[in-house]
Amino acid sequence: MSWVEGSILLFGGLVAAMAVGMPVAFAFLLLNVIGAVLFLGGEPGLAQLARNAVQSVTSFSLTPIPFFVLMGEVLFHTGVALKAIDAFALLIRRVPGRLAVIAIIAGTVFSAISGSTIATTALLGSLMLPTMLARGYDPRMAMGPIIGIGGVDMLIPPSALTVLLGSLAGISIAGLLIAGIVPGLILSAMYVSYIIVRAAMDPTLAPERPVQELPADERPRGAGRWLPFAIHVVPLVLIFGLVIGAMTGGLATPTEAAAVGAAGTIAAAALYRSLTPANLMKALTGTVAVSGTILFIIVGATTFSQVLSFSGVVDGLIGQVTGLGLSPNVLIVAMLLILLFLGCFVDQVSMMLITLPFFMPLIQRYDVDLIWFGVLFLICMQLGLLTPPFGLLLFTMKGVAPPAITMHQVYAAALPYIAMSLLILVLIFFLPVIATWLPALLSR
Amino acid sequence: MTRLSAAFGRVLNALAIVGALILLGMVAIVTADVVLRNAVGVGIVWANEVSEYALYVMTLLTAPWLLRRGQHVRLDVVLTLVPARVAWLMEAAGDVLGFAVSIVLIRYGALMTLDSWRLGAITIKNLVFPEWWLLVFLPATFALLAVEFVFRFDRLLKGGRARRIEATSVS
Repeated sequence: MSWVEGSILLFGGLVAAMAVGMPVAFAFLLLNVIGAVLFLGGEPGLAQLARNAVQSVTSFSLTPIPFFVLMGEVLFHTGVALKAIDAFALLIRRVPGRLAVIAIIAGTVFSAISGSTIATTALLGSLMLPTMLARGYDPRMAMGPIIGIGGVDMLIPPSALTVLLGSLAGISIAGLLIAGIVPGLILSAMYVSYIIVRAAMDPTLAPERPVQELPADERPRGAGRWLPFAIHVVPLVLIFGLVIGAMTGGLATPTEAAAVGAAGTIAAAALYRSLTPANLMKALTGTVAVSGTILFIIVGATTFSQVLSFSGVVDGLIGQVTGLGLSPNVLIVAMLLILLFLGCFVDQVSMMLITLPFFMPLIQRYDVDLIWFGVLFLICMQLGLLTPPFGLLLFTMKGVAPPAITMHQVYAAALPYIAMSLLILVLIFFLPVIATWLPALLSR
Repeated sequence: MTRLSAAFGRVLNALAIVGALILLGMVAIVTADVVLRNAVGVGIVWANEVSEYALYVMTLLTAPWLLRRGQHVRLDVVLTLVPARVAWLMEAAGDVLGFAVSIVLIRYGALMTLDSWRLGAITIKNLVFPEWWLLVFLPATFALLAVEFVFRFDRLLKGGRARRIEATSVS
């Protein structure tokens, strides 16, 4: 069988299995069974498939995934996040589009302690959207920031999908986690600037009451304004600092730092007297559900790259691509376009599993900076959460928005934030230092 | 069938709770290792190794429960585009294929485990124990998944002739 026929069979089969609605993990398993029979020698191939499934997740590099997800789940199920939002509301008082700005800043801090984008969007959406709409915010102005900041969560560590990308692509996980910080913060700053400019130009988009007209609990003075920030936000930032510090200071591996972060978050919730056996159990089962879903796809898909390789598809396609004599930059642009296209239809884990077997050998052949490429890849995945028609965060927002909000309004709200994410993608493409500066500085 | 399915569901819930407790144990052990190593210079040498095994066991224990809850991620692009009855037929085909794949994995997982047991293979890292203790989780999990695919198919037959509403992303 030629590599062209092999690729039609393997990718056509995978698309067909996914199209009938098989869970992604089982679609990969089905193709692996077929691939093992055809390309890995039948019985020995199937035995290898079972062996690989065991080894796939018996891996120290994947262990941060549940720990990072747990940090976010504890934060949300114990209600610690609510108090943090209130604390921000006391500090941010005199800016146009105030509530939208609060959503972005609170969302950025949650991103620094939560490894789950959907949790951030659902939480901010259910808490802040009704208030914004009740105060007369334009639905686009109310929903856009919450959708946008959910995507930023993927870039700012801790991030479960960053760990997975690092592990699958052979990129330093600690390096990649740290490399996401600056682009994530720039994106947050862009969102805040956009909101302020838009709300200043057209105050009807985000009608704000003067400070003296705010509810009494939103306008204390002096220490009363800063105390909630010190109590409810600073400890969260310290946990983030602890995780990143332990990782970069050589005190702990990413897994160990993640475990310390998860333990720190549980301890913080206990100190706030917000932790109960019931909400801890909710956070734990929520975590095993999210991380179990991600990891079981890895169990199912682990042999796929081997099947692709033995079938000659990888060598054939890579030979074909390198034969075109493209420059590395053109090649990377092509890869990013493929990712952006896939992001409109396919979930993030599948995006990685389908593309990395081809992308990484090419990236290594052309000696491309792995951290830089990893960050570009992450931004494409983040965009996949926001892009119509199937961006997950759009549906999450629709799910928590009042029934009167239409899907078209959700799409329209997301558009400026998609444009800004594309802008940061282009910026990092031309100025790799945005992504590589911090990991290089901290690894000195 | 419905009562059997409900009883099986309770077993899956119990396995998920075991998975959740394993996760809590992982957090405790790895954190204790880091703290002890940095505080008194001696950590728990087997902490990392145990957390690797725990990750594997936790993933497998929760997989059948996630299938019951419709949380294994899938694409529903095509299912939403085709007529409801066609989508229903596609769902049925997906269940049959899922069941078949599970049977293959039971067979080869069981052969792998039996071989390891017969050969007396031992895992030797910081901890030393028979390798089949780990391997056996794979065929056992796929046996549970195969059973759940049967119940899933049964629910599909008894329900309306339309697609299911299930998770499409894990982010």
